[in-house]
Amino acid sequence: MNARLAAVGGAAPTHRLPAAAVGKAWGRGGGRGQAAVCAPDEDTLTLAWEAGTRALDAAGIEPAAVDGLWWGTTRPPFAEGPSHAFLAGALGLAAESGGALSSGSTHAGIDALAAASDAIVAGSARVALVIASDALRAGVGTAAEARCGAGAAALVLTADGGAASIGARITRHLPVVDRYRGDAESDTRDLYDGRLFREEIFLPLTSGVVEQLNALDPRAWSLPDPDGRLGGTLAKQTGAGAPPSAEVYGELGDTGAAAALLGAVGALDAAGTVGIVGYGGGRATAIAIHADRPVPGATAVARAISEGEEIGYTEALRARGQLVASGETIPMGVPPESAMFVRGAEEMLGLLGGRCVDCGTISTPPSIHPHCIACGGPKLEPVALARQGTVHTYVVNHTMPAPFVAPLPLAVLDLDDGARLMLQVVGKGEQLAIGAKMRLVLRRYAYERGVPVYGFKAKQVPSAAEVGQ
Amino acid sequence: MSWNRVAVVGAGLIKMGELFDQSYEQMAAGAFSAAVASVDKGFEPELVEAAFVATQRGTLWGQEGIGGNTVPTAIGLTGIPCTRIENACPSGSDAFRVGAMAVASGVHDVVLVIGVEKMRDKSTEEGLLSRAAAGHPIFTRGETAPVLFAPFATRHMADFGTTREMLASVAVKNHYNGARDPYAHFQNEITVDDVLKSVPVCHPLHLLDCCPQTDGAAAVLLVNAERAEEFTERPVWVAGFGVATDHPYLHEKSSFTEIKATRLAAERAYAMAGVGPGDIDCAEVHDCFTITEILDIEDLGFVEKGKGGPASLEGETALDGRIPVNTSGGLLAKGHPIGATGVAQITECWWQLRGDAGERQIETRHGFALQHNAGGRGSGVAVVNILTNRR
Repeated sequence: MNARLAAVGGAAPTHRLPAAAVGKAWGRGGGRGQAAVCAPDEDTLTLAWEAGTRALDAAGIEPAAVDGLWWGTTRPPFAEGPSHAFLAGALGLAAESGGALSSGSTHAGIDALAAASDAIVAGSARVALVIASDALRAGVGTAAEARCGAGAAALVLTADGGAASIGARITRHLPVVDRYRGDAESDTRDLYDGRLFREEIFLPLTSGVVEQLNALDPRAWSLPDPDGRLGGTLAKQTGAGAPPSAEVYGELGDTGAAAALLGAVGALDAAGTVGIVGYGGGRATAIAIHADRPVPGATAVARAISEGEEIGYTEALRARGQLVASGETIPMGVPPESAMFVRGAEEMLGLLGGRCVDCGTISTPPSIHPHCIACGGPKLEPVALARQGTVHTYVVNHTMPAPFVAPLPLAVLDLDDGARLMLQVVGKGEQLAIGAKMRLVLRRYAYERGVPVYGFKAKQVPSAAEVGQ
Repeated sequence: MSWNRVAVVGAGLIKMGELFDQSYEQMAAGAFSAAVASVDKGFEPELVEAAFVATQRGTLWGQEGIGGNTVPTAIGLTGIPCTRIENACPSGSDAFRVGAMAVASGVHDVVLVIGVEKMRDKSTEEGLLSRAAAGHPIFTRGETAPVLFAPFATRHMADFGTTREMLASVAVKNHYNGARDPYAHFQNEITVDDVLKSVPVCHPLHLLDCCPQTDGAAAVLLVNAERAEEFTERPVWVAGFGVATDHPYLHEKSSFTEIKATRLAAERAYAMAGVGPGDIDCAEVHDCFTITEILDIEDLGFVEKGKGGPASLEGETALDGRIPVNTSGGLLAKGHPIGATGVAQITECWWQLRGDAGERQIETRHGFALQHNAGGRGSGVAVVNILTNRR
């Protein structure tokens, strides 16, 4: 028995940094391509949420039906802490769901897929959500800086049904150091000599697994391309042609643990076999996915990858926290009490309200509303709030203390279920208007005592004309 | 008719501004001296039986947790009972109401109500701007003081066609009045163009739509009505008051075109005083932002809902208008030292009702003046006090 694939999803940050801008800043001449950079409120967890939400939507599967989340990333937001629980909570997965967090190298994405697939085959899960996400950060001024990207891919695996199946898997390992980031280090370093790495580590490991999978004659490949050239060399050597993953690398740069799956899920928009090669940390794994027909969500992945806007090098450094104003206080001035986080975490991550049994009005968040805001009634039942609505009124704040960056739009939203919320708005708010349609997305609001605080923000839904429909 | 059990026999304030040269205690002492000196027949400080101190932002000068107990020492009355009243922006207004109730109860005959606030000892970034971001871990991120009022402007403009020129006309009028008030922080006149061209603070509000952060203090002396003539032949009476609360977070508001707490507080104050909006000669209202005054004059019943913008633009609230509002310059020109604000507004009403307002004096045909504050997170609380010179 093989695990089946019900749907896929993808996500990428909106910021794109041209390699030429990085080169120019360091007096190194041009450089081709671009890399995706997280906005100050995006990270590997918010990208994972976006991709996971899209995949579940495409599958038509309720989050509560998911038995486990397998998440691969090199940069869990908590090096030790509730990264997996936060993502599961924000996705609305059942409290008793399982799964695991894979990390340690860019091989983590393929590890997540393999583990989820095994759980389905073993019968310990009937619906598994696989997410590979990453937001790499290289040292300022390093050669890797211009290609360190960010993105996320998600796959919904099931025991039966589905448009595709997870097929053969081949793994090899070689205990040599290539990339390195130690405890308490925030920037990834490359340790190798380029030529040595290519000839003795990368090509032997990856071409070995590719050649074995070649027997299945895949119609498309997702190949690793950590430096913008190695992928092409590997494709040429193995006769893979121009893999769809090359487009993802061109748009987003090296998306780390997400790269293998992100390069493949978009190619599942037609029947046939897609070969996936995951690489990192001295390991290479090839997995085949056989699509009987187009996989739901696959065509939308291309749009998720291409909706970006160019930013300059200074803005990118600021967004990555690598450029800080003198005297700027990064933590918020007034940290809330820990108890408030305990009471508030579930309702904020799960976006819960309390619906009045007597009058139906939704008060939110429940922990600060023991009584209904409309009729004062004491009987409230928890409800998950609608994830879209319209702007009732709004402002754009231009004067705030650090670490907030102006202009910061905030909007009071009338959600589709009748609840009202006030949230920050993603972006600069240029198009904001009363009545504008918005959807809610998970973002990072701030750090409190160094701990990330997540919650929902409002993002404007582009009009049909803007998305070219 | 009116309640009239309590008389205001003295009132005074210090010049508002950035008072880096004065401590909290020095400001309090200055306001107390001004109130004592204002009593027509003289006043011995030892007559004060109890003090109610309004301070809202003790966090801005490092005295968050000590009640009001530095004030009796500062004014030379160590030993008297003294209680701090903190009720957001209406702290001073509410201290006045509590002081009046203390006198009306018969427990005290002479009470001092004093408001004092040190706003500028901390930098703008460390001050009110960042403090306003406290509260719920998610809902209040990026919320500074203007964020609590600007959403009302956005919606009022959309629903009623209120324009930025109409908003600006409030600031122009209040600066005109402030230029005639020796106690005002800003004493310069401005134009509509100045407001429109000032830097954006929180869309749709610009810098001159916003009140300044001001240090200040004000004090009033309340006595039992039966003893008023010991102090003056021209007392001003407390005719009525009302307080109301509303949901504090913006997303809980049922409407963004009214401040519900103001409407409820006004209904209670009018009922207690036995008057209506048409009986009010002048009003000191909470104009922390231009939109706030437009909402106030509607919610207090001076103009029809939605007509606050045109009424302001057409001069209905000017010194020579139908209902003069913020003759002192308001918070926009006089400044907003939070705890002191309500008490300073009472002082202006006292001057107007006694005919002592000089160049700003308006005609008091009915003999009633109204004072109003709204504040707290999302205008979750409002206080209205009504004073009269008619026994």
